[in-house]
Amino acid sequence: MMTMSNAYIDDFPAEAKVIRAAFYSSFFALALGGVFGVIQTLHRTGYYRFIDSADYYTVLTAHGVFLVISFTIFFLVGIFTWAVTTSLDRGVEDLRFTWGWYGLMAIGITLSGVAILAGFTDATDISASVLFTFYAPLQGHPMFYLGLVLFVVGTWLAGVDWFRSWWAWKGENPDERIPLPTFMVLTTMLMWYIATLGVAAAILLFLLPWSLGWIETVNPLLTRTLFWFFGHPVVYFWLMPAYMMWYVLLPKVSGGKLFSDPLARVVFVLFLILSVPTGIHHQYLDPGIAEGFKFIAMTNTMFLLLPSLLTAFTVVASMEHGARQRGGTGYFGWLKALPWRDPVFTGMALAGLMFAAAGFSGMVNAGMNINYLVHNTFWVVGHFHLTVGTAVALTFMAVTYWFLPQVTGKALWSRSVALGQVVLWFVGMTFMSNAMHRAGLLGVPRRTAEPQYDGFEFEAAVGSIGELQAQIALGGILLTLSLVLFFANVIGTGLNGRSDDLPANEYAGTLSGPEDAPLVLDNLKLWTAIAIVLVIFAYTFPLLSIVDRGGLFGPELNPFPVSIESVTLLAFAVEHLAVGALESLSLPGLLEVIR
Amino acid sequence: MRISKAGLLVVLALLAPLLVELRTVLSWINVELSVLETAVVGAVLVAIVLVWAFLPENGEDEDTDETADRNVSNGD
Ligand code: HEM
Ligand SMILES: [Cu+2]
Repeated sequence: MMTMSNAYIDDFPAEAKVIRAAFYSSFFALALGGVFGVIQTLHRTGYYRFIDSADYYTVLTAHGVFLVISFTIFFLVGIFTWAVTTSLDRGVEDLRFTWGWYGLMAIGITLSGVAILAGFTDATDISASVLFTFYAPLQGHPMFYLGLVLFVVGTWLAGVDWFRSWWAWKGENPDERIPLPTFMVLTTMLMWYIATLGVAAAILLFLLPWSLGWIETVNPLLTRTLFWFFGHPVVYFWLMPAYMMWYVLLPKVSGGKLFSDPLARVVFVLFLILSVPTGIHHQYLDPGIAEGFKFIAMTNTMFLLLPSLLTAFTVVASMEHGARQRGGTGYFGWLKALPWRDPVFTGMALAGLMFAAAGFSGMVNAGMNINYLVHNTFWVVGHFHLTVGTAVALTFMAVTYWFLPQVTGKALWSRSVALGQVVLWFVGMTFMSNAMHRAGLLGVPRRTAEPQYDGFEFEAAVGSIGELQAQIALGGILLTLSLVLFFANVIGTGLNGRSDDLPANEYAGTLSGPEDAPLVLDNLKLWTAIAIVLVIFAYTFPLLSIVDRGGLFGPELNPFPVSIESVTLLAFAVEHLAVGALESLSLPGLLEVIR
Repeated sequence: MRISKAGLLVVLALLAPLLVELRTVLSWINVELSVLETAVVGAVLVAIVLVWAFLPENGEDEDTDETADRNVSNGD
């Protein structure tokens, strides 16, 4: 049969199917996560509370895990598969293997998801309302941890799949540079392999055996530190695919070329090297880690700004090039010549703009001293809804409008709705995140079902808490509407018939190509070795001193199953003890008085 | 029109961060706007943008006029 178009599905029908499955899994998670998002927004702002506040943490766990684990990672394995197959111009080596890792990820996240959602019913005693950070002593059902392990192993195998493609390609093209999209996938995966060692250790050595009852206790600071060993670089696991889209797709939809291939390679190498040895910047307030180690983490973090600034430069330069190709002129006048009508472009541009704002609040988080001001407040939530919640999520939604036709062979249902959707996300997030940041500065805590306290009022310097709550709720509702539009488009596109008039499957060319990039940039072994050395420097001593002080499996510690009964029980016990203590104190006192 | 419809939509969207941040910035110089006042300022800004966008072009007063009437297409 003759194919009329050059869409991805025409060249790689079998791979397109896998990518489609990954995308739909991702969108399903996004839908669930979005529902929980608006529930908790309305709950904690006090506008509409229909769930029990005790269930708030189950909702929040589901929101966090479904959005930052399933939505983001399913989507990125989809675009990574696209990137490798397209840029090497070859199908995957073994399709069963590809379906195998997808299946493992799907089974894993289903197990974790069921464990979380089971927390809503009393029909089983399964629950995992441990939030996406699963800090001990919060304990989830073993199924939750097991599911996460399978999911992560699935991503490891996905990486193996892409490396296999590259090795096979290299065998046939020994003297060629690694095509840029594949280079980005490989460096990201190397970073991911190093990063996930932390969470694998935390779960397999400690949390899973503990939740199975094989070991009595864990050292909470140790598992926390291992979590953040992974927890910081995971943000780059979300971000690097978004960057990849900004480098290889955005210049194309702007009508131009990528400004510099070498610079893009430098950026990804820097991420590989610097992502992991920074995790301790999430623990500035943790007692038990010496200030000096925190200072090292802070320094590494500040260096990490560099690749993001390089990205901002390259991306804007590429956009300007595109605009001038389209006839734009003037100092700022070229901005008008950009394809604002195209939701793929506008979505990514707005996502990038919000990421710049996120960079500023991120600097505040990263500074050891000012971090104390915002730590665990709503500010932090405002910050990461700009990063993962917009820079990543909005980029993914925007590129969906390009990818969906590529992998389904069907025309997009509505470009206008798509444009409205990305703009609405931007506006909604502006309201929500601005108010979250400001509320955080007033001390409003995150992860709190009812942030209201007897005999205490948060005081706003400008406006009032009530206004901030309203602004958050308004933002949350606009974001939810935006999601509705997104799903309308995904479903509408699915219902369309096959189109043979689709754009070709291409990515941006470069102004300065790989021939300008020093060969050493492609030496993945070297960069991996440097990354490992830096990790050893940053983590050996902190980990040793944590184990030294708190023990490998912790001091005596009783697991704290997350259920409301245990809280009342605990309250009762505390009360009992307190009354007892008071009685023993006051009895001699009373006798004294009587005498 | 001086700007494409999509461009206009984006410009209007950009008013949102401008407005919410403006309120904070103004408070530094002791100008505290209530929600209603902020909304009024917003409405005025929207009106100004709309008038500017729909005003017929008259040549020299805008330095970017050449690109404006090129009726930027949407890239397909
Ligand atoms: C409809 C859109 C969304 C709304 C209304 C929303 C709302 C919220 C709210 C109010 C919280 C804070 C709850 C608290 O600390 O008590 C929260 C937390 C969070 N959100 Fe969202 N969000 C949305 C979309 C997203 C997206 C797209 C992502 C990421 C891709 C995301 C990731 C997170 C994470 C990781 C947390 C922290 C969970 C935790 O503290 O354990 N959210 N969200
Ligand atoms: Cu971090």
